[in-house]
Formats: sequence, structure tokens, C-alpha cells
Amino acid sequence: MQYQSQAVAKPYFIAAIGLFVGQILFGLIMGLQYVMGDFLFPAIPFNVARMVHTNLLIVWLLFGFMGAAYYIIPEESEHELFSPKLALLMFWIFLVAGAATIVGYLMVPYAALAKYTFNDLWPTMGREFLEQPLPTKLGIVVVALAMLFNITMTALKGRKTSISIVLLMGLWGLAVFFLFSFYNPSNLVLDKYFWWWTVHLWVEGVWELILGALLAFVLIKVTGVDREIIEKWLYLIIAMTLITGIVGMGHHYFWIGTPEYWQWFGSVFSALEPIPFFMMTVFAFNMVNRRRREHPNKAATLWALGTGVMSFLGAGVWGFLHTLAPVNFYTHGTQITAAHGHMAFYGAYVMVVLTIISYAMPMMRGRAANSEKSQVLEMWSFWMMTVSIVFITLFLTAAGILQVWLQRVSTTPLGFMAAQDQITLFYWMREFTGLIFLTGLVLYIISFFVGGESKEAA
Amino acid sequence: MNNIENQRSQFIRPCTRVWLGLLALTSVTYSIGRMELGGTQIVMLVLIITFIKGEMVAGFFMGLRRTSLLWRAIMASWLLIVGGGIAIAYLTGLK
Amino acid sequence: MSTQTLTLDSHKAGTPPGDLAIWFFIFAELLAFGIFFLSYAFARAHNVELFNESQQHLNRESGAVNTVVLITSSYFVVRAVAAIREGLSRQCAHWLAGAIGLGGVFLVIKLFEFHAKFSAGISLSTNTFYMFYLSLTIFHFMHVILGMVILAAVMLKARRGGYSAEHHTGVETGASYWHMVDLLWIILFPLVYVIR
Repeated sequence: MQYQSQAVAKPYFIAAIGLFVGQILFGLIMGLQYVMGDFLFPAIPFNVARMVHTNLLIVWLLFGFMGAAYYIIPEESEHELFSPKLALLMFWIFLVAGAATIVGYLMVPYAALAKYTFNDLWPTMGREFLEQPLPTKLGIVVVALAMLFNITMTALKGRKTSISIVLLMGLWGLAVFFLFSFYNPSNLVLDKYFWWWTVHLWVEGVWELILGALLAFVLIKVTGVDREIIEKWLYLIIAMTLITGIVGMGHHYFWIGTPEYWQWFGSVFSALEPIPFFMMTVFAFNMVNRRRREHPNKAATLWALGTGVMSFLGAGVWGFLHTLAPVNFYTHGTQITAAHGHMAFYGAYVMVVLTIISYAMPMMRGRAANSEKSQVLEMWSFWMMTVSIVFITLFLTAAGILQVWLQRVSTTPLGFMAAQDQITLFYWMREFTGLIFLTGLVLYIISFFVGGESKEAA
Repeated sequence: MNNIENQRSQFIRPCTRVWLGLLALTSVTYSIGRMELGGTQIVMLVLIITFIKGEMVAGFFMGLRRTSLLWRAIMASWLLIVGGGIAIAYLTGLK
Repeated sequence: MSTQTLTLDSHKAGTPPGDLAIWFFIFAELLAFGIFFLSYAFARAHNVELFNESQQHLNRESGAVNTVVLITSSYFVVRAVAAIREGLSRQCAHWLAGAIGLGGVFLVIKLFEFHAKFSAGISLSTNTFYMFYLSLTIFHFMHVILGMVILAAVMLKARRGGYSAEHHTGVETGASYWHMVDLLWIILFPLVYVIR
């Protein structure tokens, strides 16, 4: 670690991993509810479990991105963080607000929560992923703006690199698009139209900038390849992301009352969305193959390569599977979507956050890399989680294909619940694989506490 | 000075000829459009003209004719796939 | 890539003129437009009469004039590259200014065309033909603007004497992108305005 203030990233990373565990636990609860409908009812109904599962995912990824920004920006700018105190204060505000929100979801009925939190003054609740009460949403804005102020000031005072510029663009975009969560027109089509701008213009647009920047940073560090080469790749990836992702987002507009041309725009542009992800894969492998040093942190390199491959498979290939309008006509909102969602989020964003944690945590603990023993354990956890998610995706894809067939294609179509009954086998297999994922996650956490002889600080 | 003379004869003059050629071919395409001609043969002619124009721009203006085979092949296959696809689509539309 | 020796010899290495990155970008753009062109062609195959009928309402003259304008402006850019290869910064900037001016002419003609269509009440939702006509040409329109911005940046640097006979990758990079914009219109014009 080159600058003292980079250490503020540590609590962010720890909180991220803690919430990650919570997300997986609620995922398992929900997975079981797919096949045992009244499991934990009425304490945790399915809709609440689902809300907690998805909200925790987004919040812990945000913790991860913020931690990454606080770690990367000072090092790239060659300047101490503008205000480490502000960063720490924001950490506690975000953590307390996040925890209070989850407790609220679990303790009071959602309608009551809405009433207590002034939702009637400014209705924003009740939409998927944007369920947070108004005070939480405002808190997120405050935290995000304070972070942006903090890191932008740092970047302005120091060296400006492509990585920090792209990272700042991504984070600013993140904050701007979050503002659409406050906009809730009463026209249902318009509501849906703008609803997609928050989470989905993140994952198909600005988050890809963050992803590219984090990957580029770690690759520079572990491979020692010239910054110039890595930056050229980064710019290419960013350009392709923006060309394809922004209009490609139209693949969400197919059947929600928007004009028909969205079927063309969405199909054509989103068919190109795999390109930037493919470029990221080629980028990661190319840089590692051309490496000019052997960095002792093998685990971080593995995570970086994994991000390249899994983001292409999950976001690129599994997204393309059902992105063309004539295909989506049948697959819309089935388990195929769930399959894509799981592998894309894991492959792109979970893995990139784990990549930067894997690289930065040892540094913040005063060593270039963890001990051999610790790294072996971390790599085991990498393979367990990654293979599990591949199988979860395959099972859900199988479930989805069957569901589409039974419910929408066959000459004697079944109702939704009747079709669900026919695919329980896949849900059981998914749940079992989820347990293996959890085991991998536990191993991952244990790897932080495995001692042994660590590598010298670089 | 030798170099400059070299570049004039090998770069500017061919490109000037290409420019004039492009203008001529454009007027052919436009005339076909103005007469509202259609049918398979006419459309194939238009597509071949377009392919030639594309190769002229790529080869001379963009300078691909002095690059390795790979680059020229990528550009030529893009033009062929797009042009061929348009031709196939036109033929399927006839039935 | 960064060390371009004088004129023609540099190309013998086998890489195209300009920064290699712009070529990745150009081919990605060509891919996007290619898919769009083919979508048009196959959508037309399903709806030949509608497309033939609607096509008659297009202003073929302005399409043809715009082809000439872009081809000529591309030629100006060729002259700009030739000028800087001889180290003539001022001439380079002048040719680029001409190319940018012609880009502006293209935009103005296109705006008249759009204005006529929009005031006739035509929109993306009128029918499949107009959906394609408007989105293809607007998408291309935005690329013309981007190309002009790139050329303007190159021109300003050339005017400041920022390029030389030895180092002018930037000029070739901008030129390559502008030729691509021209190339796309060369296909778009017959496809949308002529083929029937």
C-alpha cells in the first residue's frame, strides 16, 4: 500500500463480504421456498426473501465499488485521499442505513414500512430493486455524492490516468442513474420505462466502466504490462460498451407498451453487447500472457482471469440467448432470465469486486500477497463458487427451457403454477448447488484468517 | 524531394482518380434510382457497383491496399457479407 | 504503431494507417451497421410493397448529393493526410477545414430532409420502412457529427503545428474514421434510396 488513506477501503471490503454472506443465505431460503412454499412462512415470505436477496446484492456490490474507488484513486492519483475522515463517516452512515433497511424489511410488513418512512409524501417504493424506503434512498444519494466529491477532489489534485478517469465516469454515471429511482410517473408504461434506467443502465452501461477500470488496475499491478497498452484496451472496451449498452438496453422495452421500434433497436444493439465482454476476456488473458513479472498474488490473477471468462459467459452468451425479440417473445420473465441474472452478476460484478479485494486486502494488511496456504484455500473457494454458479445457471436454464415449453409452446399449455410443479427437480438441484456455493464462500472467508509465511510487501 | 514526388505519384494521383471514379459510379446508381428501375439484374448491378465503391474507399482512401492480406480480407468479407446478405434478402422478397 | 517513418514505407509493415485502436473501433462500428443493414434488407423482404411504396416519398436527389458531398470530403481528408506526410501543416489544416465544411453541408441537407419528413407527420412509429429509414440515417447522422468533432480536434492540432512529416498518426487516425463514415453512406444510399 503506497498511501495511508487507502486503508479506508478495508471496512468497505469487510462489510461487502459480510453482506455477501447475508445475500447467499437469503438466496438459499428463497431457493428452498421454490420447492417448499411455506418454508419459514409467515416470518419470511418469498417476496421479502427475494427483496432482501436482491437488495443485499446491490448494496454489497456498492460497498465493493466504493472500497475499490477509495483504494485505487489515491494510488492512481499519487495523492492521499482528500478526506479519509469523510470516507469513514460515509461508511458508517451507509452501513447503518443499509442494516436498518434490511431490519425494516424483515420486522414490519412492507406497507407499514412504507407508511413509517413517508412514502406517501414522495412515493418511490414498491418497485423491484428500488424497494428501499425514501430515507434510505436519500442516504444512498448523500453517501454517493460525498464519495464522488472525495475521490474527484483527490483525482483533481493528483495525476490523472485513464483508469481513474474511467472509474470516475462510471461512478458518476452510477449516481446520476440512481436519481431515476426517485421518479415514479403514474403512467405504468412511463414508470417501467424509467425504472429500467436505474439498475439496468448500471449493469449494461456505467458499471461496465467500473468493471473495466478495476480489471485494468489489477492487471497493471499483477502483470507489469505497460500502462499504455492496458489503457488502449480500456478505451476500446469502454467505447464498445457505450455504443452497445445504452441502446441495447432497449431489449427490456419489448413487451411493456413502448413503440414497436424498440424490438429492432433492442435486438440489434444488444446482440452486440457480448463484444465488450469478449474483449475483456481477450484483454485479461492477453495481458497475463504478456506479463513481465511474477506477482506473488496468484489468487488475484486467477480472479481477474475468471472475471473475464465468466462475465463473457454470463452477461454475453447467456444474455444473447434470449435477447432477440422473437426469442424473447417466448422466454420473457422465465427461469432463463434468472439463469442469466445469476451468472451475469456473479461473473461480472461479484468476481471483479472479489478480484480487487483479493489484490488489495493483503496490501492493506502489509504484505504483497497472502501465504501459500491462504492462497490455495482462496483458489479452492474460487473454483467452488464458480463451478457452483455454472451449475446453478445450467439447472435454471434447463428449468427455463422446460417452463417455456410447458407453459407457452406446447399445444396444451399449462398454467404458471402447474408448470412450476413440473420443474421442481431442477429447483432441488439448484438448491443443492447453492449449498456448495455457500461452502465455497465460507472457505473464502476462512482464507483471510489462515496465517503462514506471507510474502514481503512489494 | 524524391520522396515527395514519389508520394504524389503513388498516393495523391491514384486517390484523385478514385474520387472521380466514385463520382461516376454514384451518378450511375442515382440514374438507376431516378428511373425507378428494379428487378434482379438491376439490383445485382447496383450491389456490384456498391461493392466496387466500397473497395475503392477501403483500398485507396483508407490505405488498406498497402496492408497485409488479413486486413484486406476482413474489409472485403464485411463488404461481401453485407452485400451478399442484401442480395439474398432481395431474392427472398421476390417470391 | 507510434513511429511512422516518412510516407509509404510505413505501410509496408502491414498495419493500416493510424492508431491500431481506431481500427478495432472501425470494425466494431462496421459490424453494428452491417447488422442494421441486413435487418433492413430482411425486413424489406417480408414487406416489399410497403417498402417500395414508402421509398418513393424519399428525396433521392438529396441522398445522391449527400453521397457526392461525403465522397468529396473524404477526398479532402486524403489530401490532408498527403499534405502532412510532406510536413505541410497549414495545407493539412486547410484540407481538413474543407472536409469539415462539407460534413456540415451533409448535415444541413439531411436536416432539410428530416424536417420535411417530420412535418409530414412521419415518425419512427409510422411504419417499418420509416422506422428503418429514420433510425439508420439518424444513427449515421450522429456518426457524421462524431467524425467532424474528431477532424476538428485534428485540425486544431495541425494548425498549431502539432504534427510533422515523421509523426502524424493522429491525422491518419481521424482520416480513417472519416472514411468509414463515408463508406457507410456509400452502402446506405443505394440500400435505402435506390434498391427496389
